[in-house]
Amino acid sequence: MHRLGGVGIGAFDRQQQSKRGFAELSTELSQAQVEHLHLQLAQFRSALAHFASTNRDRIRQEPSFRHAFQQMCVSIGVDPLAGPRKGGWWAEMLNLGDWQYELGVQIVDVCVSTRERNGGLIEMTELIRLVSKLRGVGGDVITEDDVLRSIKTLKPLGAGYEVIDVGGGKKMVRSVPRELDADQAVMLAVAQEDGGRVTEQALVVRRGWKQERARAALDNMLRDGLCWLDEQDPEYGVSYWVLSAMRWDE
Amino acid sequence: MSTTLAPYTLPSGFVLPSIHSGPPFFTQQPSPSSRKIATDNWTRLILSYARHQKLFVLRTEDADIPGGEWDDVLSNPRINRKIRAPHLAAVIAHMVATDQAVYDPPNQTSAVLLYWRTPEEWAQVLYDWASSTGHLNTIMTFYEIVEPPVPSPLSDLPLPILRKAIAVLAKSSRAQVIAVADGEGVRFLTAPPGR
Repeated sequence: MHRLGGVGIGAFDRQQQSKRGFAELSTELSQAQVEHLHLQLAQFRSALAHFASTNRDRIRQEPSFRHAFQQMCVSIGVDPLAGPRKGGWWAEMLNLGDWQYELGVQIVDVCVSTRERNGGLIEMTELIRLVSKLRGVGGDVITEDDVLRSIKTLKPLGAGYEVIDVGGGKKMVRSVPRELDADQAVMLAVAQEDGGRVTEQALVVRRGWKQERARAALDNMLRDGLCWLDEQDPEYGVSYWVLSAMRWDE
Repeated sequence: MSTTLAPYTLPSGFVLPSIHSGPPFFTQQPSPSSRKIATDNWTRLILSYARHQKLFVLRTEDADIPGGEWDDVLSNPRINRKIRAPHLAAVIAHMVATDQAVYDPPNQTSAVLLYWRTPEEWAQVLYDWASSTGHLNTIMTFYEIVEPPVPSPLSDLPLPILRKAIAVLAKSSRAQVIAVADGEGVRFLTAPPGR
């Protein structure tokens, strides 16, 4: 029977020797690999930088292109949102950091200036519409995706901006630190279906709520200023209007 | 049903604000924060409409007068809503409390004179008018001021407001109240130097 290292006491030495040999070889290999990767990464960075700088205007102007670019960045683990301080490279290269911050400031502007009439809750498309108006750009230049990203950049400010999914593909942005309970989310969704109006009847019929639950939940919303009372509803007598779910043209 | 809140231009050219097309605007809000917003908006709306139409008097009954001079503002037939008298009374009380209106006559709470110009602003309008029409240093009756042969910014100004404006001028030595045969009169004085 032949052993790889032979037999006898000398075999131990030989075995250890070859072990060392393997170890050295492996270090060399991985070093080469790391160097290679570094090289690749450097190449990649310069390629990305080149791409970013040559396509800067498209990235800034075309929502779909910007989205694709951001998707690409996410998939390779680069954060294009790293701000001027954290990742100056990106901000410099694209000015995208600034763009995103600027959008963030405008989102705050819209949220704060409409707070009086919507109780600090604004529907996503309405927010986009008003921000677009503020920027003086057309309807589809700023996307929901951009708004979501900008809201993320607002997080460190502790302003409590939050995006709430109310179902049916509708999102709302909350700009006051207040917990929305599950019932309120349902009511917002119901309001969305009816141009901003919620009624006890709608909650009972469409959501199967008990009348008491509907009444209590609506009273809460009323107290929080999230909806307003309407005692002259020709259809229901009394109804409630979620101002943030209504469309304001001014 | 889709509800869009949009401004609406009346035949008179007055533009009703978006909130006027919101159904709950015509109901008194139970929550204090919402009520404050609504009341502030009502106040602004009433004063700007009054200024536009040169209306000086608002009564709680105006809420119930279809086709009245306040109807375009106090109701919205396009959404089938109108402000109710008690709600209007609350708005009026707020306007009085914030010096944007005054109960007239005093000792009742259903009619007000609207201060879409403050007495101080009226004083300036009055003095400017008197100096530009060459009435300085002459005696004029109140009647001549508020019912001038040539329409002026002071036409139809209610006497209580006129009195307040003259009082402001008297304080700064720009006018002097004078008793005349058929009632009250005033002499506008050349502004003392340095003013």
